[in-house]
Formats: sequence, C-alpha cells, structure tokens
Amino acid sequence: MIKIIKRDQPSRAIFFFTPVLAIFLTLVAGGLIFFILGFKPFEALKFFFIVPIADKYGFSELLLKATPLCLIAIGLSFCFKSNNWNIGAEGQLTFGAIVSGGVALLFYEQEGFYILPIVILAGAIGGMLYASIPAILKTYFNTNEILVSLMLVYVSKLILDYLVVGPWSNPEGFNFPETRQFSDSAKLPLLFEGLRIHAGIFLALAAVVISWFVFYKTYLGFQMKVSGFSLKTARYAGYKGKKMIILVFLISGACAGLAGVGEITGPIGQLHREISPDYGFTAIIVAFLGRLHPVGIIFASLVVAITYLGAETAQIFMQIPKYTGQVFQGMILFFLLASDYLLFFKIKFIGSKK
Amino acid sequence: MNTNLKISNVTKIYPGCVANDNVSLEFNSGKIYALLGENGAGKSTLVKILSGVIIPDEGEIYLNKNNLKLNSPLDAKKNDIGMVFQHFNLFETLSVFENLIIDSDEQRESLREKIDTIMKKYNFSIDLDIPVLNLSAGQKQKVEIIRCLIRSPKVLIMDEPTSVLTEQETSELFLSLKKFSEEGILIIYITHKLKEVMQLCDEVAVMRRGKLVSVSEIKNENIESLANKMVGQNLKTIKKKKAKTSSDQLIKITNLNFTSEDPFETNLMDINFSVNRGECLGIAGISGNGQSELFQVLSGEIISEKNSIEFNNNYIGDLSPQERREFLMAFSPEDRLEQAAIPQMKIFENVALNNFKSSNFFNNGLINENKIKEHSKKIISDFNVNTNNIELKSQFLSGGNLQKLIIGRELITSPDLLICFNPTWGLDVGAINYIHETLIKINEQNKSIILISTDTDELLKLSDKISVIHKGKLSKIMNAEEVTSEKLGILMGGAN
Repeated sequence: MIKIIKRDQPSRAIFFFTPVLAIFLTLVAGGLIFFILGFKPFEALKFFFIVPIADKYGFSELLLKATPLCLIAIGLSFCFKSNNWNIGAEGQLTFGAIVSGGVALLFYEQEGFYILPIVILAGAIGGMLYASIPAILKTYFNTNEILVSLMLVYVSKLILDYLVVGPWSNPEGFNFPETRQFSDSAKLPLLFEGLRIHAGIFLALAAVVISWFVFYKTYLGFQMKVSGFSLKTARYAGYKGKKMIILVFLISGACAGLAGVGEITGPIGQLHREISPDYGFTAIIVAFLGRLHPVGIIFASLVVAITYLGAETAQIFMQIPKYTGQVFQGMILFFLLASDYLLFFKIKFIGSKK
Repeated sequence: MNTNLKISNVTKIYPGCVANDNVSLEFNSGKIYALLGENGAGKSTLVKILSGVIIPDEGEIYLNKNNLKLNSPLDAKKNDIGMVFQHFNLFETLSVFENLIIDSDEQRESLREKIDTIMKKYNFSIDLDIPVLNLSAGQKQKVEIIRCLIRSPKVLIMDEPTSVLTEQETSELFLSLKKFSEEGILIIYITHKLKEVMQLCDEVAVMRRGKLVSVSEIKNENIESLANKMVGQNLKTIKKKKAKTSSDQLIKITNLNFTSEDPFETNLMDINFSVNRGECLGIAGISGNGQSELFQVLSGEIISEKNSIEFNNNYIGDLSPQERREFLMAFSPEDRLEQAAIPQMKIFENVALNNFKSSNFFNNGLINENKIKEHSKKIISDFNVNTNNIELKSQFLSGGNLQKLIIGRELITSPDLLICFNPTWGLDVGAINYIHETLIKINEQNKSIILISTDTDELLKLSDKISVIHKGKLSKIMNAEEVTSEKLGILMGGAN
C-alpha cells in the first residue's frame, strides 16, 4: 500500500533532486514516445541528445542556443523570485531586437568601435521599455501581469512583421520580409573561425555573475528577496514595494532585450520575421528547471538547448518533425511540476497486511 | 416540536492553548441564547465544533438526545444545524439564486418557490437574479440566512452577525431572529457586544480563556455584570511600579483620520492622544475595531498628514517606516509570521529587517553580513532566544522565541518609543512573562510604549494610561488606576 504524508517542511535535498528526476522521466517518456512511433528508443534518444553535440560544431551550436535561454532565464528569475509572473519575455526579446536593429540600421555601412555598444544598449533599453508596460499597469492599475505581458508578445511580433515588410525592408531585397544586413561594426564578433558561437555568450555569463552578486550580496537584492516573500513585511520594513516590482520587470526586460540583440547581431545579422524560436517562452522552463538560481540556470539552459538541436538532428536523420523538441520541453516542465509534489509530500510504501 | 441541543464536556486543545476546556452547555428552542466572550475566549472554536468545521478532542454533542458525530460541515447541515459565519461565503459574481442552488439538491423550480415563500414569510426583499456583488452587507447576510432556512434547520447559529451591519440592518436582523425563535428554531447568537445581548437574548453563556464562566438569564444581568464576567477580575499581581510621571511629551497625535477603500478595514476617526516619556499607553478594544489600521498609521505603513503625528518635536506623519526608525521609533506588529518576520529566512536575515543607518548592516548598498551576524548573536543572548544558531531559519523558532527575537531586533537602537500590537498573542505563560518584564524595563529606562492589545489583563498590568478603541474612535484617555475591567468591558462593547 502506498501512503502519502505531508512533509513538515520542504526537503532541501529533494529541492535539487527533482530537476534531475524530471529530466530522467522526460528521457523515459521520450523513449516511450519514440517506441510507439516505431523507432528504436535508445537510438532515437542518441540522435536527439548525443549526436548533436558530439563534435566541435555541435558544441558551438549548443552554446549558441543556450546563450539566449540563459540570459532570459536569469532575468526572469528576478521576477519569479519576487512573485511577479512575467511570461512575456518573448515580447521583450522581440522589442529589444527591434530597437537595437533599428539603431544598427542607422549605422548602415558605417564603421566604428562605438557602434556595437550603442546597439547592445539600445536592445537592453528596448526590452526594459517593453517590460515596463506590464509592470506599470500592475503596480498602478492592478492589472494582471500574466495577461498583459503575454498579450504584448503578439503585439511585438506584429510590430516586427510590419517593420520588416514595410518601412525597414531591404530596398534591394526583392520584397523578402527582412532588413538590410547590419554593418560588421554592429555585429557581435564570432569567437572561432567557422563556428557560429559569438561574443553574446559573455553577455550571458556576465548576467549570471551580476545577478548572483545583486541578489545575494546587495541591499537591493535583499529588498527584492524580502518583497518576494512578503509584501507586508517589505512595507513594514519600509521598502518601496512598487518600485521593487517595476525594477524586477526592468531587469528581466533588459536581459530579454539583450538576448534579442544577441540573436540579430550574432548569426543572423539582420532583422527578419522569425528572430527567435520562442526562446522567451522556453526560458520560463529553464528558469524553473534551474531552480531560479544562477548556477542552476546555466545547467538548465544547456539541457534545454539540446532539445532544440536534437529536434533538428532528429528531423534530418529520422524524419521526425522538429516540433518534437517542443514536446520534450513541455515534458520537462510537466515532470518538474509533477515531481515538485515530492517537495511537500513523502511517499511511503507500507507492506500490505493480511 | 421542541429542540434540545446539548454540548457535553467538549475539549479542544491546540498546541500551546486550550481553546475549549471541558465545556458543557444545554440549549432549548424558544429562546435566544447569547454566547459572549472576548477574542480568543473560545466562542468561535465552540461554534466551529457545532458546525462540523472542527472536530473536538473530547466530548459529545446531542441533538434531541441523539449523539451527533459532526465530522464535516455537511454533517451539521444534514443534522439541521445551520450556521451563518461572520464573513460571507458567497460567490460575488454569481446571482443570488445561483448561490443558493449550489449546495441544494432541489429542482430549480421547487427551490425558487421555496425561497419565495421564505422571503414572503419573513418580509425579505431580495432580487434573486442579480449578482451578489450588487447587494449590501445586510442583504448578503439575508442570503446566507435564506440558505440555512431552505433546509428548515432546528438550530441556527449566528457568528458575530452585526459586525458588518448598519444600525438599521441590525434591528431588522433582530426582528427576524425573534420571529425564527417564535417558530421554534433554536438560536445561538455569538457576540462580544453587550448591548446586543441585553436587547436580543434570553439567556447568556459567558466564556473566558476557553472555559465556561457562567450561564444565566438576561433578566438577572446588566451590562456591568456581563462586562465583569467577560473580561474577568483584574489580576494586577505583577503590576509594575508606578512610573515617575514625567510631563515631557514624546509623541502627539492630532486630528488623525484614515479612510480605507477596503470594506474589511476600519476607518479611523479623529484620533487624538499623546504619550510622555517613560509612559505606557494601552489601547484596548475588541479586534477589528481599527487597531491594525492605527498600528499601520503609527508605523508609517500608512502615510498620513505630516502634522498629524508629532514625534520629539518633529512632524513625521508623512514619513515611511524606515525614516521613522531614524527618529528612534520601533515597531512590533501583530502578525509575527507574515509581517514582523519572514519564516523562510534565516535568523540573522530577519534581524537585518530593522535597518538603521548607524547599525551599518548595509554599507554602500552591500550586505555587511558580519555586522548583522554579530548583532544577531547579541540579540539572541540578551533576549534569551532559545537557540545559538543564527543561521537557523526562523520558522524553526517557537512563537515565544520568535517574538523575543523581534522585540530584541526592534530594541537594537534603544528607541525612544516602541509600538507593539498584541505582543504576547498566542504565547505560553513563560514567554508572556518575559515579554512583559521586557516592556516594563523599557518604561523604567524612561522610554515610552504604545501597547495596542486585545488582552485586557495585559493592558491593566502594563499601562499607565488606557484608552479604548471602538469602531475606529478612541475613548478618552484614562489613568490606569481609575480603570476597572468593568469599565473597559463596557467601552469595548461600544457603550458609554
């Protein structure tokens, strides 16, 4: 007989164990799905999770995909830790990309060391501006940030669509929905000849270090922590709760905006319709899988990035639709939420009495 | 048919508190019974037992000689016990009729017919098809009453029903209740309002600290005698020594008002008082009469007009809690776990919540962990907090130890004024005594205290002056020696 008992307090060991358990269960369930589809489960999983990163190129691709995920998830962790449910990072990424892309186009065919920093900064500001909308509506008009931030995603995508088809489209581009190529000075430098991994990874690593420092070592981080646990306590301690809310949205908007910059000024080098394969949404999974901790987020972003790559390899070698990647992402979140049940409950196996 | 409800030797123990101590009571239909007592006297526990919300540790309940096993509110309903809670359990966005049909097994048409009959009989007029949110508090309560009447109950329990009603609605309610009683429904009316008991009820049972103090007929009682029973005789055993009254004024509140948008909050009206150095001003009252709002206004969580609060010759009404702390004020809120401290954070992190410039907990925006830890260790030893591990999450401290930590934290800077709200709420006797001794010590050091408390014994023990808050208004300030528990009880009940 199985008996479920409530724990007196969430277990610390389980807290770190459940993400691992979730990944394991995802692999098992994934294997099962492949089996049902008529593939050999182990071979399919190998194509999905090992083949893509077996060589230098694959590893560079892994880091390339993990970079935006990590960056956005770091930003989101500030929001989620303080109970602000910003799920519109995709929109903030898109708007950041629009602003920085616009600035990059201003410097079309110009050279100069100063261009790239301006372009990067523009992206961060764009993301912050876009994130400030749900933040201000939430703090001053009591709207629900989940709805507002989510709906703004579609708004930003339509704005991008309009721009790349209309005013910003490449005059020599045969009406393709894309802008001109940015000048080299407006692009993030590639790190290795022949590989696509670019300097954006340093932005992500910097974000990891800075977020750890801010959250765990500064008064500001302490105030965010307190406000996240209890707004009542924050008010009693004299912290400005509303400002904290707006601040975490700005931080997460800036990170998402930077991720957008990384996409368009890195491998793509121009604005077009599909600049992000839903990194902004997937990063939500990354943030939770990483337990909202900077180091955890690094690992989680690598794991989730594999699903993007694996989906592509699986499509090429096994003719499985690449949307399988999203199935895996969904399963990870699903199993994580499910195994979080163990945080609060113990399962006890009791020998049946006869 | 006569209804007889008997509670026999009911006991309910919570960790650290006996909510009902061997309570036995008997009720007969045809009369309206009052169950009277202060907050925490055990009334609510008793009625929750009667309505199946709480299961007693010991004791039996008999309805017409049948032993009832009430394991859930549904059992109470099945046994014809109806209950109207203080806060309404209605879906605001659903219509009145939808709210009523939710927990009924009847057909729509027959239910509607039944409701119409009930409304006609008792002269209720409520539109059944408008959403509940459009109703007044009195009408919502009628919906709750109708919900009980649909099941033609034998017993109807009303838990502090007038706390949200206007005078007019109250007298309407009383008329209905009397009618119900005439029709043979046994009515149990829970309240702490003495006037209402005298007006409405036939018999009164008084509870104090979980025990049944007395059962008597209303005609043998008056407001004073009931107040005395409710509050208890003052036990001024460790009454502090009379402080040398200084005339050095520390804080002065002038014409302070607060109007809330939240219907569950109390508005404060024209608050005026002052406290001298070395003095303890006690503010008594039944909870929910504006104490929490008053605390927040004094602590700066709610900002008021600059001139309404004068502290040490500075006008500080518009300052935040943090800014007020710099003027040497300190605050200990009522809610230890959700406001005064964060249980999931470590002890030393909780100490850092009281942040002063001079305490150097944070330098140039960085956390100065060593400084905070050093101070936390000092608090733990100075205030007898029963642990030596400042890395412990504070959820593992008992209520008493947590309160000592909070008081200790607030006293770090030796503030001129400490404002506490129910500082010993829910604590065991040992911790209570420790906190009381600490508060007395503060006064002896010529520092002042504003003690907002619902515990009258505590107030009589610690205060130099006492005022009573009722419906957001303060009574005149009295010297503690002149105050008797009777007088307090009467003022707390809203009479003059």
